[in-house]
Amino acid sequence: MEKILEIKDLGIRFKTDDGIVNAVNGVTLELKKGEVLGLVGETGAGKTTTALAIMRLIQIPPGEIYQGSILFEGREILDMSDKEMQQIRGDKISMIFQDPMTSLNPVRTVGEQIAEVIRLHQKVSAAEAMRKACEMLEMVGIPAERSGEYPHQFSGGMKQRVIIAIALACRPDLLIADEPTTALDVTIQAQVMDLMENLKKEFGTSMILITHDLGVVAEICDKVAIIYAGEILEYGTLEEIYNHTAHPYTQGLFDSVPDLDEDVRRLKPIDGLMPDPTDLPSGCKFAPRCARCTEQCRTMHPDMTVLNGNHGVRCFAALNREG
Amino acid sequence: MKGNHKRSRLLGIWKRFSRSKTAMLGLAVLCIFILLAVFAPLIAPYGYDEQNLREAYQGISMRHLLGTDNLGRDTLSRLIWGSRISLVVGLLAVAIGAAVGGLIGSFAAFYGGRIDSVLMRVVDIMMAIPSMVLAIAICAALGPGLVNTMIAVGFSSVPTYARVVRSAVLTIRQQEYIEAAGAIGSGNWRTIAKHIIPNSLAPIIVQASLGVGNAIQSAASMSFLGLGIQPPTPEWGAMLSTGRQFIRDYPMMVVAPGICIMLVISSLNLLGDGLRDALDPRMKR
Repeated sequence: MEKILEIKDLGIRFKTDDGIVNAVNGVTLELKKGEVLGLVGETGAGKTTTALAIMRLIQIPPGEIYQGSILFEGREILDMSDKEMQQIRGDKISMIFQDPMTSLNPVRTVGEQIAEVIRLHQKVSAAEAMRKACEMLEMVGIPAERSGEYPHQFSGGMKQRVIIAIALACRPDLLIADEPTTALDVTIQAQVMDLMENLKKEFGTSMILITHDLGVVAEICDKVAIIYAGEILEYGTLEEIYNHTAHPYTQGLFDSVPDLDEDVRRLKPIDGLMPDPTDLPSGCKFAPRCARCTEQCRTMHPDMTVLNGNHGVRCFAALNREG
Repeated sequence: MKGNHKRSRLLGIWKRFSRSKTAMLGLAVLCIFILLAVFAPLIAPYGYDEQNLREAYQGISMRHLLGTDNLGRDTLSRLIWGSRISLVVGLLAVAIGAAVGGLIGSFAAFYGGRIDSVLMRVVDIMMAIPSMVLAIAICAALGPGLVNTMIAVGFSSVPTYARVVRSAVLTIRQQEYIEAAGAIGSGNWRTIAKHIIPNSLAPIIVQASLGVGNAIQSAASMSFLGLGIQPPTPEWGAMLSTGRQFIRDYPMMVVAPGICIMLVISSLNLLGDGLRDALDPRMKR
């Protein structure tokens, strides 16, 4: 299958008054057409920064993309002119933001906001754009009559649907969903996930789903990448990650999810905190929290090693066990 | 359909606006003044420069409803003629100030960094000069006259608008929907015009509706110094300052233009308040 997105050794840092924040440190990812990739990690792991880099929406300065490349349909995104990038954003690549409450402009009607993206990228009349906007609203399950209403008249779940409608209005090749369900309650989460799954089936959109919810990943993703302190720790198909977990951090994530069948008094968290991004450990980034940490882990930085097929892991302990 | 959409939005704003009685009152008073200004030649009983020294310093009478001034000119007629000058000076000076200041402020806030620093330091320098002195300097450089007065008064209020707009835009640009606008491929200009300015209108409207009064007063001070509108052209502020010398014996010469200025300013404030609420769809009840 054709590769739609290829990220190689991406490095992003931010210069702040407290020092240099190393947000993304050598992320390598690829996505084939029609695939859904789950990017899983804790808060501050660099998920959103990676996503914004694909859209080239990182504020420079203070941000700086100091290494790596992002190829979208074989073209280097980091070398494109601002004008080319504007044409791609919203048309070929679009993004769903985390918080539906603040992602819509409060003084413009939802219809206008959907029509805006259509008019930006397609040569259609205002009336035609508005008609298409109404179609999009219907598609995400909102009656077209409500296109003249303002964002504050919608509930959170409906706002997220409007945002999805905006993101999909131009039939993008790649959709980046940044924690699309985090700000919603559980029943609405399920509806939104169903909607996204249907859209994926209908249009074959490639998707990057950023989340910290492993349940959501299992539902919809084909591939999973576990990101920690700006680094991919484990990468593979859904099956490989869930049934042949190799990295202790991934294992820790699974252990911290409560099981329906088991009756436990306490959840099992991963001890410790994510390392300070201004002062990362020199060896394995996860070493200070890892139960299977050895001297080698503290001093040497493990490389990404392919176990079999696509399944890659960045851990000495996992390799030793396999070997 | 888009046309309908736009019309329905304007209709919505009007509906919300007309629901507020105070705002409608403000609009009505302002409309009366605008009509007076437009039809001044038909309404005014005398010409603005018709002197009659024998009838100088008169009080309220049937012949002169609001009395006459030191040169025997009919005060009411001069007020009506003066509304032409004062309204135009007030509104246009504010428009100049708000447009230039708003542009500087929104640019500075949107781009940040060095552009922000340079623009705001320029504004700081302007702010360090008292606005009256700045206006006098501009007027002295350009020469007296109606247009130059408006430019002078307008420019002297630029720093205030730049500051107000910058702070409003700074808060708005942090919002996620501005980032989202970038993510759908909207360019910087478009984002400023379509997303940032409509959301930061409220403080600008309040500042502008208060600013009209200030502008009329500044224009009056300029006339008083001989730099602004030249006599015999009637202008409310100028009438006020001429009448000042006679306030003890003939208070009408001061009270009448004073009340006019007050009415215009308060009607604009009411209008501004109503407009601000009407433009915010969240205020719908």
